[in-house]
Amino acid sequence: MTENSKRLIGRSARGIAIALVVVVFFGPIVWILATAFKEPRDVYALKLFFTPTLENIRAAFDTPYFVGERTWNSIVVTMSTLLLSLPIATAAAYAFSRFRFPGGNVWSVGVLATQFIPPVIVVIPLFVAFRHAGLLDTRIALVIANMSFVVPYAIWMIKGFIDSIPLDMEEAAQIDGASRLRAIWDVVVPMALPGIATAAIFCFVVSWNEFFYALVLSRQDATTLQVGLMSARTERGDAWEIMAAMGLIIILPMLVLSRFVQQYFAKGLISGSVR
Amino acid sequence: MAAVTLSGVEKHFGTFTALQRLDLTIADGEFLVLLGPSGCGKTTTMRIVAGLEDPSAGAIHIGERMVNDVRPKDRDVAMVFQNYGLYPHMSVEDNIGYPLKVRGVPRGDRSARIRHAAEKVELGPLLDRKPRQLSGGQRQRVALARAIVRTPQVFLMDEPLSNLDAKLRVTMRAEIKHLQNELGVTTIYVTHDQIEAMTLADRVAVMSQGRIQQLGTPEEIYDRPANLFVAGFIGSPPMNLISGQLSAGTFTAPQIDLGGLSPASSGSVVLGVRPEDITVADDADADFRGSVYAVELTGESNLVTVLLGRERVIARASRAWRGRTGETIGLRADRSRLHFFDRETGVRIGGAQEGNTSERDLQQ
Repeated sequence: MTENSKRLIGRSARGIAIALVVVVFFGPIVWILATAFKEPRDVYALKLFFTPTLENIRAAFDTPYFVGERTWNSIVVTMSTLLLSLPIATAAAYAFSRFRFPGGNVWSVGVLATQFIPPVIVVIPLFVAFRHAGLLDTRIALVIANMSFVVPYAIWMIKGFIDSIPLDMEEAAQIDGASRLRAIWDVVVPMALPGIATAAIFCFVVSWNEFFYALVLSRQDATTLQVGLMSARTERGDAWEIMAAMGLIIILPMLVLSRFVQQYFAKGLISGSVR
Repeated sequence: MAAVTLSGVEKHFGTFTALQRLDLTIADGEFLVLLGPSGCGKTTTMRIVAGLEDPSAGAIHIGERMVNDVRPKDRDVAMVFQNYGLYPHMSVEDNIGYPLKVRGVPRGDRSARIRHAAEKVELGPLLDRKPRQLSGGQRQRVALARAIVRTPQVFLMDEPLSNLDAKLRVTMRAEIKHLQNELGVTTIYVTHDQIEAMTLADRVAVMSQGRIQQLGTPEEIYDRPANLFVAGFIGSPPMNLISGQLSAGTFTAPQIDLGGLSPASSGSVVLGVRPEDITVADDADADFRGSVYAVELTGESNLVTVLLGRERVIARASRAWRGRTGETIGLRADRSRLHFFDRETGVRIGGAQEGNTSERDLQQ
């Protein structure tokens, strides 16, 4: 075989591989995008050219799908999780980074180890507890459930950054006249900001996409968009076009987010250090 | 401005003793240097004064006030860190102004005082920069400016020059000395560099193994080291230390027979003599003879290492002196500048500057 044909084969193999990856990753998104605007009768036809309609989106916001209310639930739950988790995780990360605990790092590792327990096990006692507390089918219950897995990961993300901040600066701040808390706020938090931002993006993504806890812990009032997707499976069959319309709304913030922060997010995950 | 007093201060980390019963008074306006090798407890001492470390025992007073339970922010001290401890996300101006800001000084007053402090350390045109855009020397100036922007009771400096290159270190050393003189603020300065200690200090506390080995003016420490540790630590090249026997006014060691000493003591001793107190001498005047091991020209003089039995002795010869390796030469020691130490305890038992009488009572 000549060098030239070898090179040709290599190049086409690479082309095929890239095409495969593109199809696998973007195919579903394209399908959702297309289906959301198709007439119900066109759904099963794999045609790329059709007359687009906004009927599916309108229907999704109507009874019995209530996309409006459910989107609002999703937004409230996600933002509440974010606003509560970040300060808690930052404080905990600081404590794990700076203080010595009896038993060493058993505690910080323990926090992460809780995540090895499958959610399907955790949800049973959570369900019972929330029922006793009268919190079933409330957004509060979903926020608490989300925090149970967001906070541990966020602690570890932020801790990595705080570990790399020299103690000198905090001590300098304290000698300069700041209380410990003030030193944390004025010096540690600004320096750990890339880590906190990374954790924020992570919190947002996993809270927004959370399905399982929301499915078990909500019925009607607190149902999120993600669980609402299930309501498109009706006794008259699966309403794919409605699901696609909902799916579009679900992935919308992710598309926006990835456009603006993916670079930042990757950097934050990789580096974990400030200089 | 205030005196600083440490009384009976101890510090233990688990089973490790970092400081053992330290008593030290630093007078108002004094420049005290804590000097010692790493791990000697000098930084721990300073951190205890700053309030960054709690003593295991003892009391710390700044002025009349006992500060054991006072938080760092309320001790009214300023500190310069080895790595400067600047706030990387703030401009030079905000760095210098931070002590004022947290103490609630109004914005208007702040900028005038920041400017004044920056002028003093020649940072005027750099106020808008971030620390990462500055050189090491400039960063150190920012740290100094941040310390002097308020007038604290005490300055604490933790090896502030050790991250600078040799030339800059000399310049900054003079600036620190000048600044301290001008401001008259009590200063505690930690270093492992004896030149810094000798040049800056009103008094030096030489520390080792969590103890003050000697406390005195630079002259005292250099001319009358209290024990073998201080003798070996201070001076570059270090003092020659030769083990031998002292009896009836004669010191004997292999190839050395040094008579005519007024009897200071007797028994097993260590003789200490600084290189500059040994000169190359004619055969007639020589106290001892040995073969040249190495000759090093430092510029201002020649350092001659001579083999005397098992010992290597360093002598200082004039710049013009020329000798060959292996050549046998005579050396003469200045009798008025000898030091004797007890070989067992390492404690000074007499020698130079004391009329050669027993000085055992000087040591506790």
